[in-house]
Amino acid sequence: MVYEWIIANKELIKIFYALIIVFICAVIVLKTDRLFRLSSHKGIRYFRNAFFFFGIGFIIRYFFGVLPNYRFIITIIFEYFLIMAGFFLLYSLLWKKIEASGSDYYSSLFNAKIFIFYVMSFVIVLLDYLWGTYYLMFSSQIILFSLASIISYANYKKNGKRHKFLKFYFIAMMLSLVAWMLNALASLLLNWHQGILIVIYLLNIIIFLLFLFGVIKVTAK
Amino acid sequence: MAKKRERLNVIKDILDAIQKNRQIKPTRLLYASNLSPQMFKDYINELISKKFIRLDIDDKEKKTFSLTKKGNDFLQEYKVIDNFIENFGL
Repeated sequence: MVYEWIIANKELIKIFYALIIVFICAVIVLKTDRLFRLSSHKGIRYFRNAFFFFGIGFIIRYFFGVLPNYRFIITIIFEYFLIMAGFFLLYSLLWKKIEASGSDYYSSLFNAKIFIFYVMSFVIVLLDYLWGTYYLMFSSQIILFSLASIISYANYKKNGKRHKFLKFYFIAMMLSLVAWMLNALASLLLNWHQGILIVIYLLNIIIFLLFLFGVIKVTAK
Repeated sequence: MAKKRERLNVIKDILDAIQKNRQIKPTRLLYASNLSPQMFKDYINELISKKFIRLDIDDKEKKTFSLTKKGNDFLQEYKVIDNFIENFGL
């Protein structure tokens, strides 16, 4: 009965779902932007950028996506922003191994190091469009969140006793990986089965709420 | 082997030394910061350009560093920033 009610009101629920995600992203971006402006810490910057791209992606997909003539282009832009957000999130965990902490950039969103993400995301979106599939997006995100899960698990094992949120971060990465796997399954084998999509939406809300919880708890004085 | 100090930690140590003394001469700050002269110069230039500290020169050409409001804000928020970086593995 609940399932039927959800299916009957799915458009409304999608908007509500997007509102929750966009709200969470806005809070995370604002809170982390303040910390970044004070510290100029690159990890904080890439983390903030990830949620900025998630937020913009969801705004475009669920609020502008209702315009019937632009659905196709909006899906492409949504895919692009989602892939970029994933890259930023992974890079926020990896940047220390790649670049020096002291080097400065003119812009928070564009620099030579992360330019490669923009190119890679563009290529993924372009090839998916040409092939009429989502194969590359799903594969890239599954690889990306597998790596993020491994790194966050290593962080948790190393410092988990002193820094409690590392455990939740690892859980969030694992849930993201599961969500992307379900997405791929729903798309490739189950013809976008509505039940699977509901589970994915619920997983996404849990993941974003976990991050919101972490940001609010850690930044509280 | 001693662990290399993180950039954020060095900045915090410099700002801490200035805050404790209110105004501090460059040579004393160099000793307090425990950095090489070149590294010290780089950090000081960065902190001045980011308006965390200011260089005051009096009538006798005596130079001292003092904290700006932004520098004070950073010190107050340092624990939050450090906690954030550690808890999110950044």
